[in-house]
Amino acid sequence: MTRVVVDREVCMSAGVCEMEAPAVFELDADGVLQVGEPTDLAAVEGAVRACPTGALQLVD
Amino acid sequence: MSTPTLDAIDLSERTFWGAPPEQRHAVFDLLRRESPFAFFAEPQVPYIPVGPGYHAVTRYADVEAISSQPALFASGSGAVSIADMPPDLNEFYGSLISMDDPRHGKIRRIVAKAFTPRVLENLVGNVQAVADDVVARARRTAEAGDGTIDVVADLAAPIPLRVICDMMGIPEADRAMVLQQSTVILSGGDPELVEDEEYMVTAFLKAGELLAGLMERLAAERLERPADDLTTALVTTEVDGERLSHQEIASFFILLLVAGNETTRNAISQGVLALSEHPAERDRWAADPGLTRTAVEEVVRWTSPITWMRRTATRDVELSGQHFPAGSKFLLFYAAANRDPAVFADPHRFDLSRDPNPHVGFGSRGPHFCLGAHLARREIGVAFRAFADHLPDLEVCGEPARLQSSFVNGLKRLPARLTGVR
Repeated sequence: MTRVVVDREVCMSAGVCEMEAPAVFELDADGVLQVGEPTDLAAVEGAVRACPTGALQLVD
Repeated sequence: MSTPTLDAIDLSERTFWGAPPEQRHAVFDLLRRESPFAFFAEPQVPYIPVGPGYHAVTRYADVEAISSQPALFASGSGAVSIADMPPDLNEFYGSLISMDDPRHGKIRRIVAKAFTPRVLENLVGNVQAVADDVVARARRTAEAGDGTIDVVADLAAPIPLRVICDMMGIPEADRAMVLQQSTVILSGGDPELVEDEEYMVTAFLKAGELLAGLMERLAAERLERPADDLTTALVTTEVDGERLSHQEIASFFILLLVAGNETTRNAISQGVLALSEHPAERDRWAADPGLTRTAVEEVVRWTSPITWMRRTATRDVELSGQHFPAGSKFLLFYAAANRDPAVFADPHRFDLSRDPNPHVGFGSRGPHFCLGAHLARREIGVAFRAFADHLPDLEVCGEPARLQSSFVNGLKRLPARLTGVR
């Protein structure tokens, strides 16, 4: 099943993914990225592309 | 307009940056085609030693390659000035912008908390209320006078000023000073804002001192009585168990105020100008609020409020097959990358429904991507909806006064008339 992998070393909590796919990504109160099920695949692909640090990856 | 020739181009010449944008873009187009790493001597800054010169990077792919390799292309020796500033000055005015990992990453993650989309969601009401009030005041100004307003002073400046000052908890009485001094810091030495070029650095220092003084006062108050604002977050936050140093807080405070004001103000004023030059697009957006998402991105691409950021090679590097020695300076011309035909179809067309629009108006891929991107998008979207709804009779009625700065694509004044007033 397709899922999203976050490189925690690289993520800088820019929140661009949350703008692209708010149903899947959320920066919590500490600024740590929480990732849910990649329900809307098109939006998640957009988030992976838009991530400014390339911290997101879609894997099968 | 005469066709530019490579030999005649000098991006270090101040007057080039006060010229109309079509001329600027004609030069960028030529450089991108013929000389994508064109080399220029550095402009002279009084009392600062002149450095070795810089390469103007105008292709989108090269801007992206440099931006996304921060270990090879560093920001620490200065990202916002062409000359290497004395280290204390550089750190004071650059803050996170002129910092490299690991320190940059640590601090960035901490402040990122205050700028997440969800935190900003709570600000929407605030931005909306500010924009509505600013628009109502602009109409009263026009009614009380001869029907004219200044788009910069009456619309574009007050919206981001009030939003960032609310976020940071700046008292009402200090806000005029904040606007004035942040304008000086990003004046690029424009003769209207810094009267004597000889004292440019002194003027920047003075402006920084005034803002740092405000920070000292607020910081002391917030340590005693924490409030729900960014200033409290800055003075109480810890990185690896340590609080930010006094100087880090001061430079961060200045960065947030300056960046929060200067960029969005110019996106809004230049956006108003662009819409007045493209009335069909203006009408389309006014009639269709659903266009706002893509329209905001196009306004940022078109205006590119920050024209460039600098990177410095940490060792010998190769870019698009060319070799550059360690220490080479690169100015990433976002304004040029944003009109690169390799990425943007018909790049000189202002198209509010452009989609996808992978512009680099907030910086390209990499750790220095604009911290305030969400906030800026929100402010721009809300502002232009408020203009469409409440100022449909807004008409630009004179020439804009352009800021003579290579760094900020700014307007000092933009005269307009509310035709419904008289």
